[in-house]
Amino acid sequence: MQYFIDLVVVGLSIGLVYGLVALGISLIYSGLDIVHFAHGEIYMFGAFIGMVVAETLSLPFPVTIAITMILTGFLGMVIERVFYRRLTRAGGGYTFAGMGMIICGFGMSITLQNLANLIWGAKAKPFPVSFGMPFEIGSMVLPQSYLWIFGSAMILMIGLHLFLKKTRLGLAVRAVAHNKDIAYLMGINVPMTISITFGVACGMAAAAGVLVAPINYVQVLMGIGVLVKAFAAAVVGGFGNLPGAILGGLLVGVTESLGAGYISGSYKDIYAFMLLIIVLMVRPSGILGIDTRVKA
Amino acid sequence: MLEINNLEAGYGSVQILNGVTLNVAKTQIVALLGGNGTGKSTILKAISGLIKPTAGTITFNGERIDGKRPNQIVRRGLAQVTQSKEAYPGMTVEENLRVGGFVNNNRASIRRNLERVYDHFPILKERRQQLSGTLSGGQLQMLCIGRGLMSEPKMMLLDEPSAALAPQIVLDIFRIISRICREGMTLLIVEQNVRMALLLAQYGCVLKDGVIHIEGPAEDLIHDDNVRLSYLGGTVADRHGGQNLQQ
Repeated sequence: MQYFIDLVVVGLSIGLVYGLVALGISLIYSGLDIVHFAHGEIYMFGAFIGMVVAETLSLPFPVTIAITMILTGFLGMVIERVFYRRLTRAGGGYTFAGMGMIICGFGMSITLQNLANLIWGAKAKPFPVSFGMPFEIGSMVLPQSYLWIFGSAMILMIGLHLFLKKTRLGLAVRAVAHNKDIAYLMGINVPMTISITFGVACGMAAAAGVLVAPINYVQVLMGIGVLVKAFAAAVVGGFGNLPGAILGGLLVGVTESLGAGYISGSYKDIYAFMLLIIVLMVRPSGILGIDTRVKA
Repeated sequence: MLEINNLEAGYGSVQILNGVTLNVAKTQIVALLGGNGTGKSTILKAISGLIKPTAGTITFNGERIDGKRPNQIVRRGLAQVTQSKEAYPGMTVEENLRVGGFVNNNRASIRRNLERVYDHFPILKERRQQLSGTLSGGQLQMLCIGRGLMSEPKMMLLDEPSAALAPQIVLDIFRIISRICREGMTLLIVEQNVRMALLLAQYGCVLKDGVIHIEGPAEDLIHDDNVRLSYLGGTVADRHGGQNLQQ
């Protein structure tokens, strides 16, 4: 029984990490109508930028996370403005340009990996922070990183929710996500709002990267595996649905952990995709997803 | 207030407007009429900035607005009231209205504008916290008009406000629009429902083949044989017993 609880706790925390990346993916999809295949590399860049920030500034961990989120958010906004804007403006979704956006995403993914390689090299690097002794809950002993993951993810999710529901800018993001033309007619600066939406999504992924970095090493290829799992998480929860992204992430994380613990650890990656296949067979729109119509 | 000169516009290689000239004076209500596919929504899109005209000029309050971004045009006081189906279903009534008032950063004036809209449309006040997806067609149209009012515009463009609504509801809404105009609003109303539009408007223009085909004071158009035969199938006076919307 204790083993089960251990596995679930580990699964939930890695699930929160997947969930944050999935949140970014769903946010980008609902706001910009594009499927962002380079989001795993944003997560990776977040970890690297966080590493640099931690090395040079040595600030408390939450501040490091915040600074990294802002920096990576800006990086994301630049990428969107320079590379993606023309394609999204020409039409998203099922148009030529929309399909082109998918290929652009793959290209950006490769570019960012190689960029990171050029800057930091291919070697796995440890994250320069030490949290002290693992803490005990009941009969479980967990590294403090897990505490940070749970706490930060909670704060970020609540923060995003409040941003979207309670602020004027959040209202604009929701309006643009629903229909760009109508949002324009309401006086909203749509291109700026799109950039901000993208920046927020990248900030989320960056936070995930920084939260995971102390547990694993920081390396150039860390984004690839996470991207696919985060996509699975987003789809499981309902693509474009924000609470669904978190829910999907948690489900993927727990499924993966339980699978590795009880069935076999050698094929750990399979469990997430098995879950994805089952959900798609039973409820293709995702658990919290609704039938989406192609947006105007 | 709004001057359109020789406007040409279309979508890609398809030219819809072939030189439209149209003026709306301050506090005037002008109706733009025409059947399906004649270019009414194209004109609206060109005026509000969603598409760029290929030729011609659009001037608002003395300033050229053709080619400007839609959000900049709203900031200059020209708001478009969308069709009722374009309300945001996932947001409450009040949130929808707040989106309409987005150009306003001032809490006090947003509050004031909300009260003004609720004054015109008490049913919206009743349902302010309800999701707009629960509203009826007429209430949605009121919501869209309210959304337009929130940006404190000097002029409003109405996009087929009677679409998909029962005649009595259309009359009610048009009465409220008439009241709003008496407070000093300038209006360009695009309509397929020629009868209703000419009851409300002082001046009418009929769009056909991408140009203004017939135009004139509303009373003249109502009795114009061309308009009557093409669009009305009888005179307006016959059907409504001379009902007056200017109450």
